[in-house]
Amino acid sequence: MAITEERPPLELTSGDLPPLEVETLGVFHRPRATHGWASWFTTVDHKKIGIMYGFASFFFLLVGGFEAILIRTQLAVPGNKLLSADLYNQVFTMHGVTMVFLVVMPLAAAFANYLLPLQIGARDVAFPRMNALSLWVWLLGAIFFNTSWFLGGGADGGWFNYAPNSGVVFSPSHGIDFYAVGLLIMGIGSTVSAVNLTVTVLNMRAPGMTLMRMPVFTWMTFIVQVLLVFALPVITVALILLTADRMFGATFFDASAGGDPFLWEHLFWIFGHPEVYIMILPSFGIASEVIPTFSRKPIFGYPFMVGSGIAIGFMGWGVWAHHMFASGMGPISVLAFSLATMFIAVPTGVKILNWMATMYGGRIRFTTAMLFSVGLVAMFTIGGLSGVTHAFAPMDTQQTDTYYIVAHFHYVLFGGALFGLFSGMYFWWPKIFGYFLNEKLGKWHFWLMILGFNLTFGPMHILGLQGMMRRTYTYTEGQGFNGWNLVATIGAYLIAVSILVFMWNVIRSYRQHRANPVNPGPDPWDARSLEWMVPSPTPEHNFDEVPVVEDFDEFWHRKYGHDEQGRPVRIAATEDVVQKGDATDVHLPSPSYWPLVLAAGLPLIGYGLIFNLWWALPGAILLIAGIYGWVLEPSTDPSAGHGHDDDHHHDGDDGDAAALEEPSGDEADTASGDEAGEGAGVASADEPEPAMASASADAEDGGSK
Amino acid sequence: MPRNRKATVVALISTAAILLGFWLIIRTIGQPTGKPLNTLAPFGQQAQDIQNLTIPVFAVAGVIFVLVMVAVIWMVVRFRAPDDAVEGEHEPAQTHGNTPLEIGWTIVPAVILAVLAVLNVQTLLRLDDTGENPLEVTVAGQQWWWEYRYDLDGDQTPEIVTATQMVMPAGRDVTVKIQSNDVIHSFWIPSLNGKKDAVPGRTHELVFNSDNPGIYEGQCTEFCGLSHGVMRMQVKVLPPAEYDVWIREMTKAPAQPTSAAASRGEALFVGQCARCHEVNGLTPDSTPPFTYSDEPSPDYGVEVDSSLSSKNAPNLTNFMMRQTFAGNLLALWEGDAATAVVAVPGQVPGATPDKVNIKRWLRNPQDVKPMDAENNQGMPNLNLSEDQIDDLTEYLVTLGPSTRPAA
Ligand code: HEM
Ligand SMILES: [Cu+2]
Ligand SMILES: [Cu+2]
Repeated sequence: MAITEERPPLELTSGDLPPLEVETLGVFHRPRATHGWASWFTTVDHKKIGIMYGFASFFFLLVGGFEAILIRTQLAVPGNKLLSADLYNQVFTMHGVTMVFLVVMPLAAAFANYLLPLQIGARDVAFPRMNALSLWVWLLGAIFFNTSWFLGGGADGGWFNYAPNSGVVFSPSHGIDFYAVGLLIMGIGSTVSAVNLTVTVLNMRAPGMTLMRMPVFTWMTFIVQVLLVFALPVITVALILLTADRMFGATFFDASAGGDPFLWEHLFWIFGHPEVYIMILPSFGIASEVIPTFSRKPIFGYPFMVGSGIAIGFMGWGVWAHHMFASGMGPISVLAFSLATMFIAVPTGVKILNWMATMYGGRIRFTTAMLFSVGLVAMFTIGGLSGVTHAFAPMDTQQTDTYYIVAHFHYVLFGGALFGLFSGMYFWWPKIFGYFLNEKLGKWHFWLMILGFNLTFGPMHILGLQGMMRRTYTYTEGQGFNGWNLVATIGAYLIAVSILVFMWNVIRSYRQHRANPVNPGPDPWDARSLEWMVPSPTPEHNFDEVPVVEDFDEFWHRKYGHDEQGRPVRIAATEDVVQKGDATDVHLPSPSYWPLVLAAGLPLIGYGLIFNLWWALPGAILLIAGIYGWVLEPSTDPSAGHGHDDDHHHDGDDGDAAALEEPSGDEADTASGDEAGEGAGVASADEPEPAMASASADAEDGGSK
Repeated sequence: MPRNRKATVVALISTAAILLGFWLIIRTIGQPTGKPLNTLAPFGQQAQDIQNLTIPVFAVAGVIFVLVMVAVIWMVVRFRAPDDAVEGEHEPAQTHGNTPLEIGWTIVPAVILAVLAVLNVQTLLRLDDTGENPLEVTVAGQQWWWEYRYDLDGDQTPEIVTATQMVMPAGRDVTVKIQSNDVIHSFWIPSLNGKKDAVPGRTHELVFNSDNPGIYEGQCTEFCGLSHGVMRMQVKVLPPAEYDVWIREMTKAPAQPTSAAASRGEALFVGQCARCHEVNGLTPDSTPPFTYSDEPSPDYGVEVDSSLSSKNAPNLTNFMMRQTFAGNLLALWEGDAATAVVAVPGQVPGATPDKVNIKRWLRNPQDVKPMDAENNQGMPNLNLSEDQIDDLTEYLVTLGPSTRPAA
C-alpha cells in the first residue's frame, strides 16, 4: 500500500519561456502550432492522434452502419428488389471490411493511443512522429478504399475475399483492386503503430511500473500489438499475391495453372483468426477497467486476467482452420483444429467468470459506461457459447456460412467489441474532452442499442439453424425465413436510432458544457489507474511529474488504504494526490509536416497501380520527399530548446532517486530529453547521461517526446 | 424487500422467462415443414449423426447460458449501490482473487469440453466413413448451377449427365465427389449431411445415405459471385426400384420430335442453344448414343482458361426427367408432378409441363436470376421472338422418356 506522505513532494518548475528566435536548422523548421485547426495536421501528440482516430472511425461507423441498414432493408421481405445482386454483394463486402478495418480496429487504436501512455505514466509514445504517420496512412488508406464507390464500384468478394472468385476473370471491376491495395496501405499504418506501441509498453513505463502492475487495458492492448506485429505480415503476403494475380497476371490462386485457391484461404485465416482477437481484446481491457471502478473493487484475479489474455493471444494462432471445416482440407486437420478451437473457449470463459467475481460483493454504480460493460459480459457470453457450438466440426458443417455464423460473430464483435468501445467512450469522455456525456441520454442509448442488437442478431441464430445461407441477396417465399428477417430489420433500425441518440448526446452535452462549463475534475469516477491523476482534459504534457509506481491500481492506492477486513479507507483526499497540470516547462515533441506528406504518397501510388502507373509518380515523389524531410528536419524547434535544461538539471539537482535509478532513463527523456536523442547523430554536449534504453526511440524520432 | 430476496426473486423470474423462451423456440425449430433447409430435421444417416452431437452440445451450452445470465442478473440486483451510498460506509472488501477458485473454473470447463470432445471425435470419424460399395456421383459446381455425372460402368466416361436435381437410391451409401469448374462453391443438402466446398483443382468427398425417399433442398453456401444466393439444387432419394427406372430412362435417347412446332424448335435449338447446351446425339460433334464430351470445343474459352470459365451449360438430354430447372428456381412441371417422389415425373397422373416457366426463362433468363453473360457467367438473353419461344418450348418438352404425356 502506498503511503503518500513518503513521496517526495510535487515540485513544479515554471520556467520562463525564452523569446522566440526564428532560426532554421536543416531544410525546414518544424511547425509550431499547438492550437487551432492547423495543429491537428501536424500534431505528434498521442492524445490528439487518438482523438482523430476516434472521430474518423466513428465516421466510418456511420458509413458501415448505413451499409448495414441497406442490407437489412433488402432482406426485410422475401424477393425484395431494393438492391440488385451485384450492388448487394458490394454492400455486404464493404460493410464487413469497413466494420473490421475502418471501425473496430481504429476505434481500439484510438483508445490505445490516448490511454496507453497515460496508463503507464509516459509523456507520449516511443515514436511520436511514427504515431502520426500511422494515423495518416490508415486514414488516407481508408478514404482511398471508399473512393472505390465512385470509381467503378466497391469490392464484391466478401471480406474474406476467397480466390479465385476474387480474380479478374470473375470480378473484373476495380473493387477488389481497391480492397487489396487499400488493405495493404492500411496494413502499413497498423504495423507502424503496432511496433510503436509495443516499444512504448516495453520501454516507456514510469519508474516502478512493472509489467505486472500495468492496468489490464494496457495489457490487452499490448497483447494486441504483438498479435498485429505477427498477423499483419501474413495478410500482407496474401494481398501482394492477390495484387500480383490481378494486376500482373500471376497465377498464385489459379488451379488450372498450378496455383491453389487454398493458399489464399489459409493465409487469410492465419491472419483472420488472430484478427478477431485483435478486435476483441481491447474491449476486454476496457471492461476490465470499467467494472472494477464501478464495483469499487480491484479486478478479480489480475494474474488470471493477464494470463488468459496471453493464452488467448497464443492459442489464437492455432485455430485458424476452424473457418475451413467445410473446405475439404481432410479429416485429420479438421480434427486437430476442432479440438484446438474447443479449448480456446477455456481462457475466454475465465475472463467472463473473473468479471463476474469482480462484481460479486461490490457496490455497483450503474453508469452508462458500466451498463455497456455488463452488457458486454452478457452478450459476449452468448457469442462465446455459439462459438463453442461451431468448434465441433461436424456441427459446423451444418452451421458454417449460414446466418448462425453471422449471429455468432455479431455477438462477439458488436455485443463484445463495440459495446466495450462504447463503454470506454462514456468512461473516458470526461478525461478526454473535459465534460461528461449526459447519463440520461446515455442510458437511452444503451437500452435502445441492446434491445435493437438482440432483436437484430438473436433471430439470426434461428434463421441460420433453419438453413438461411449467408451472403445471399435475397430469399424466397416458402423457405421459412420471412418472419425473423423482418424482426431483424426492425432491430437494425432500432440500433440506428440508438446511434442517433448517442450523437445527439455528444452534441447536446458539448453545447451545455460550452454554455455552462463544469469541469469534471481529474477523477470523476473515483477510479484506479494513472490517467485519472491528471486534469481533465489531459494537459498536453500529460504528467507534471512522472509518477513513481508502487502498486497495481497505483492511483487508487494513493487515495485509499484498507482496514483489517480489507475495506477501503481514505488515506488522502483526491485533490491532494492528483496533479495540477500546470507545469509549463515540460518540453514536448515538436509537430511535423512529414508524416502527412509521406502518408499522402501511398494512396496516389495505389491509384497508379490500379489505373495508370503514371499516377504513381507524384505519389512516389511525395513518399520520398516525406522520408527525406523526416530525416532532415531538425529534431525539434530550435527556439524551444531551453526549458529542457532547466527541467533536466532540476531533476538531477533535486536528487530525485526515482529519476536516477529508473533503468531506462525514460523518465528523463520523456520529460525532457530532446537533445539527448538527436537521432541524426547530433551529439548533445549538454546532456549529462546517455539515455541508453531509449536510444532506439530517440534514434527514430529525434528524441522528441 | 431485503437485497438478497429481491435478487433471488428477479433471478427466478428471469430463469423462468429464459426457459419459456427456450421452450417456445425448441418446440418448432426441428420441424421440417415449410423450412426446406432446416439443419435440425435430419432425413439421412449423416445428418442424424450430426444431430446426435448437436443435441448434447446445445444442451450443455444452454445450461451454461442460463447459469451465466441468471448469475449476472442476480448480481446486478444484489450488488447495486444503494442510492444513499456514502463513501467510507459499507465499502466492499477489496478481494484481489482466489487462486484455487480460479484454477477450479479453468479446469471444470476444460473437463466438460474434454468429455464432449470424445463425442466430437467419434462423430467426425463416423462421417468420414465412405461405407461399402458406394454409388459414386460426381458433382461439379459452376456459376450458378450444379452438374451431376454418373459413371455407371466405371469406365471414366459418364453415362448420365444431368443438372440441378440429383437422384440417388434410398438405403445405399452414395459418395458425391465434389468439384468446381470455376470458383469455390459449397454443396449442401442439410437434410442429408453437412456441406463441403467445391474447390477448383480438387475433388472432395461427401457421403449420403438416406432411408427416406423424398426430395431434399440444397443451397450453395460458399460465396461464388453474383447469383450465389439463389444457387440452389435438390437431391431426390428414390426407392431402389424407382431408382433403377430412373437409370433406365436416363440412358435412353430422347425420341425425334414429331410435331412441326417441335421440329422448328429443334432447328432453333441447334442454331442458338447447342453452342452451350448439349443434347446427346443432337449436334454433329455428339453422335448418338451418349457420347457426351466435356472437352471444350477448340474455339471455346479463347480468352479465358476453360477450367476457370463457366461456359458449360446444363446437359438437356433428358430435361423433362427433372422436376426443376434454372438452378432450382423454377418448377418444370405443374402441380403434383413437380414434387412427386418418382423416377419419371411425366408419368404422374395429370402431369403437365410448366410451359409458362419455360417461356419465362427463354424470354429473359436474367429476369429469373442475375447473370453476367458478357463475362461468360450464365445464360445470355437471346432476344427470341415469341414464336421462337413457343417453338423451342414445344421442342424442350419432348426431351424425356417416350412415355411422356402428349405435349
Ligand atoms: C469462445 C471463443 C470463440 C470460439 C470457440 C469461436 C469459434 C468460431 C468458429 C469455429 C468460427 C467458424 C465458423 C464458421 O465459419 O463456420 C468462428 C467464426 C467467426 N468468429 Fe468466432 N469464436 C470465438 C470467439 C470469437 C471472437 C472473440 C471473435 C471476435 C471478436 C470472433 C469472431 C468471429 C468471426 C468474425 C467469424 C466469422 C468469420 C467469417 O466467416 O467471415 N469469434 N468462430
Ligand atoms: Cu476464428
Ligand atoms: Cu455460391
